[in-house]
Amino acid sequence: MEKDRIKQAYFDYVLRKNTPPASVFKLTKKLGIPEAEFYRFYPNFEAIDREIWADFGRQAREQASKEPVWPEYSAREKLLGFYFTLLEILKQNRSYALQSLRRYMPEVPGLTPRVLDDFRQDFQAFVGGILRAGQNTDEVANRPVLQERYPRLFWQQALFVLGFFAKDNSLNFERTDAAVEKAVRLSFDLVGPNTFDSALDLARFLFQSRRR
Amino acid sequence: MSNLPPDGAAPELSNGQPLVSLPTTKVARAARFAKTGLKVGANYVKHYAKRAAGADVNADDLHAANAAELYGTLSQMKGSVLKVAQMLAMEKNILPTAYSEQFAQAQYQTPPLSGPLVVKAFRDAFGKSPFELFDEFEPTARQAASIGQVHFARLGAKELAVKVQYPGVASSIKSDLGLVKPVALRILGLDEAQVRPYLEEVETRLLEETDYALELRRGQQIAEQCAHLPHLEFPRYYPELSSARILSMDWLPGQHLREFLQTQPSQEVRNQLGQALWDFYMFQLNELRQVHADPHPGNFLLRADEGGTVGVLDFGCVKEIPTEVHAIFTALLAPETLDDAARLLSLLEEAGVLRSSDSAARRELYLRTLHDSLTLVGQPFRQPTFDFGNPAFLESLYALGDDLLQKPELRQEREPRGSEHFIYLNRTYVGLYALLTELGAFVRTGAAA
Repeated sequence: MEKDRIKQAYFDYVLRKNTPPASVFKLTKKLGIPEAEFYRFYPNFEAIDREIWADFGRQAREQASKEPVWPEYSAREKLLGFYFTLLEILKQNRSYALQSLRRYMPEVPGLTPRVLDDFRQDFQAFVGGILRAGQNTDEVANRPVLQERYPRLFWQQALFVLGFFAKDNSLNFERTDAAVEKAVRLSFDLVGPNTFDSALDLARFLFQSRRR
Repeated sequence: MSNLPPDGAAPELSNGQPLVSLPTTKVARAARFAKTGLKVGANYVKHYAKRAAGADVNADDLHAANAAELYGTLSQMKGSVLKVAQMLAMEKNILPTAYSEQFAQAQYQTPPLSGPLVVKAFRDAFGKSPFELFDEFEPTARQAASIGQVHFARLGAKELAVKVQYPGVASSIKSDLGLVKPVALRILGLDEAQVRPYLEEVETRLLEETDYALELRRGQQIAEQCAHLPHLEFPRYYPELSSARILSMDWLPGQHLREFLQTQPSQEVRNQLGQALWDFYMFQLNELRQVHADPHPGNFLLRADEGGTVGVLDFGCVKEIPTEVHAIFTALLAPETLDDAARLLSLLEEAGVLRSSDSAARRELYLRTLHDSLTLVGQPFRQPTFDFGNPAFLESLYALGDDLLQKPELRQEREPRGSEHFIYLNRTYVGLYALLTELGAFVRTGAAA
């Protein structure tokens, strides 16, 4: 397909030259297609970068769910499975991943690089699904209002993981694996029924008692 | 590593004591050390305040207070840090030997690996998930090993124990050692240059334990060389199902020492098990010159079949004994050495325990101390048979350690002595004696020597 050809050519170019082509014209000339053809699929190179990242996420979700034990995984294990598969994919494309993240790194730390916009939307939808399923198994506490914000908070975790991976200098990025284990355990300790719910319950009780 | 029969799902703890919560992250560990540093500082303040107030205090009280503080901290940290402290303590007798029981519990404590990470470890190593590799694979670990966890798997008719290492353990050990070294040295009042050979020895062994490929080779090798010894059983290792971080071996039947003793085995069975262990160790020490240096109860599986069979697990910690060290060690334990003061003196000089620069009084002190220790430690070798069923022997061994600790002259020695190779040899002997005593075995000790 023409779209995939353009995407692949762009990807190869960035990998080889460590920078995007100087113009759309240069890329299309190399491919031997008219420049207009490019705009039928993408408005600019940034859109391709966004799509490549979204592809990484999609592949990770697909591959992870192919694992035979996937249906038996708890919510926590599903998220772990996703991260580990994603890291495998990123390891194979580390040069591109680092290069593109650096290129779009926002000036203010903590903000999401624009290149991850599509990736983030898919991720948040995926996490939302996992967490809803987790409520049925009591892995996730039911906290109206607050729980709507969970996917965004988990996105911060994903950013942390990506940042850790980008800076990790251990062999085979083993420390990132450990970081993922620990971060995900913490996050599920937080969203699971815990002290917070008991405190909230007591507070609610006291509040209602006073009104009586 | 330790290995439970299929029905025992709970992780094995060597002496049934509950493990208290452990600070596992580097930051938490560092925080714990910082706390110790503060308390030790406070001890110094107290010490000088007392002295300023004219009270009659000596430095010993201070060292005792510091050692207690350090011990409390280290026992909460477990893991590699504790192992280092344990090694230092063995040589210096700073921490009483009687606590070796507690040290036996020292394990690398981290929460179990999640199923997805186990799957990832397999994908990294084999490009396949464990469910593709084995006919059956239990995603939940059966138990924790010292730096990993053990899963149960089936392949064809074979039952396998599959050990999976925690990611990043090797680098974590390195950072732990980096963390413990300066603080421990300061608190114990040791000089870095003097203890360097000991620390290097311990560091090497700890890092070797993270190399499963090495463990596999050694396990295969020792099993092959010891195949002729009766009543011993070794797991077969499967190189094609193993990697640097994954080790597959046969799932051996049997129970750990304490559970096994609860089945009330007969004295004959216990004797045969004890004899098998004794012969196994003597053959390693004297013939192979490399020894399974971790005689921890969790590393042996016992059963009453054929009058008593011992399954030997975990070749992660193997100490190779250089020829000259072996010669000194054997000579030190020989009965005639103890009666010949001149010979003992020259051997101790050769071993680096005594130096020609030492004052006469100090030589006398070391000579007397070591004569006492060797009399006791070498006792089983000087008799044709030895009854480990009598707990008095081990008790007097521990009491000796406590005694040495109490001796003010020795406690002022701020410098460890002797060859660094003795660290693991000592650990092996004390561990073996402790095992045999718990087993209550009557062993023919003279024949093998």
